[in-house]
Amino acid sequence: MEMFFYGFMQRAFQASFLIAVIAPILGLFLILRRQSLMADTLSHISLAGIALGLLLNVNPTFMTLVVVVIAAVSIDYIRMLYKSYSEISIAILMSAGMAIALVLMSLNEGGTNTSIQQYLFGSIVTINFAQVRLLLFLFVLVVGLFLVFRKPMYVLTFDEDTAYTAGLPVKFMSIIFNVITGITIAVIMPIVGALLVSAIIILPAAIAMRLSKSFNLVILVGIIIGLIGMFTGLTASYQFGTPPGATITLVFIVIFIITTILKKLVNQLKYKKRRRV
Amino acid sequence: MHYIEVKDLSFYYDEEPVLKNISFTVDPGEFVMLTGENGAAKSTLLRNILGLLTPNKGTASISLVNERNEKLAIGYIPQQVASFNAGFPSTVLELVRSGRYQRGKWFKKLDEEDKEHVERALKSVGMWDMRHKKIGELSGGQKQRISLARIFATDPDLFVLDEPTTGMDLESRQEFYELLKHNSKVHGKGILMVTHDHEDIKQYADRHIQLVRKEDSPWRCFSMDSCKEPSKLHS
Repeated sequence: MEMFFYGFMQRAFQASFLIAVIAPILGLFLILRRQSLMADTLSHISLAGIALGLLLNVNPTFMTLVVVVIAAVSIDYIRMLYKSYSEISIAILMSAGMAIALVLMSLNEGGTNTSIQQYLFGSIVTINFAQVRLLLFLFVLVVGLFLVFRKPMYVLTFDEDTAYTAGLPVKFMSIIFNVITGITIAVIMPIVGALLVSAIIILPAAIAMRLSKSFNLVILVGIIIGLIGMFTGLTASYQFGTPPGATITLVFIVIFIITTILKKLVNQLKYKKRRRV
Repeated sequence: MHYIEVKDLSFYYDEEPVLKNISFTVDPGEFVMLTGENGAAKSTLLRNILGLLTPNKGTASISLVNERNEKLAIGYIPQQVASFNAGFPSTVLELVRSGRYQRGKWFKKLDEEDKEHVERALKSVGMWDMRHKKIGELSGGQKQRISLARIFATDPDLFVLDEPTTGMDLESRQEFYELLKHNSKVHGKGILMVTHDHEDIKQYADRHIQLVRKEDSPWRCFSMDSCKEPSKLHS
């Protein structure tokens, strides 16, 4: 309990709560649109934004937001070029982002390595009040948009052609979704790190998909798994002195393994019961 | 009024013509079947009509309003829609209910009338008892049935169906064609359906459009055989 007396831990738990709710909402749509690696791609591209910001002496967070939004729009354009293989857009932009980041970093030799490392690995325990406020804004935006646009997004993710003939502005919705994902990545990345942002967004939704039958339930279960993973990981990180982002990710991996085994056992039991009947 | 109007449409894939000089209409209350050998660009023609592809020449348009001057609702079943991802986290009921959203319910709660439509649609394809199943757990034929149920739940003015009966047995197919005929004759719905089943369906359809490759046409380029009227169909 002593950890709750520290201001930095209080802020870390507040941020964890907000991320745990935002992540599965975006994660589920990313998975269903075959863009699970988009979070990874955008976090790599964010690094290019940070490197550019440091090189030009412009606020790195602002520059990251600009670069990520441009990338998010480009992803949708490239996705349309290779409609049946949407992951190609991810591969192209991921390598482009990393290459640009590395080139820009090499152009700005001396003094940037610490900053880049901070963004690569992040640390939720060093989060400041302004970042918590930014996360709260993001929380209101993502949850609000989800509640309003849940039905159109369901149809869009089920089948884009059907969504188009039903009168939905498919292209516009895709771009807006990508932009919001980009903004989320840009905000979350300095907190959890570029290397782990994808895991934190995708894993809770991926685990929930295996456990729930219905669309709404997946989101709810994803949020519960997100909260369990984030809080457990954060507590373990404090107790054992391990890096918070990596510890949280490992907790999600453990939840994934346990739920997979349990589901298999339950299915086997059900099968045996059916055979007996 | 025409629900669908195709005028002298030609479409090319990378400079290669696949459809040439296609013209026809589909009116309210009309059941039109579209046939052609494998690779005859039937699905491509539907996608041009729906605006998913753009014709290189000519036009394909869908009326914006129905006979009552309300916004026209389209019910589209793409080819192999039933091969959807087994992992898509949705129950049968959720999926079929989503057919009602385009009836002005994107941002509103479904009411009793919507729920009645959904129940009737699921019962009409014999899937009511499976409504709480996850769609990924269904067989190919069952997935096809719930795709049809979703369309019936929408209650569209215009049905655009691309081989909707794949994987269904003869009895179910005939029930489905009967249901379509009822929808066109009694409720004035327009229907354009791609099928390979033209022998079974000819007693239900009003017109038959066949895409054929003419002798002087390039390889893979299809144009229209003359439309066959019901009298011809039934003879």
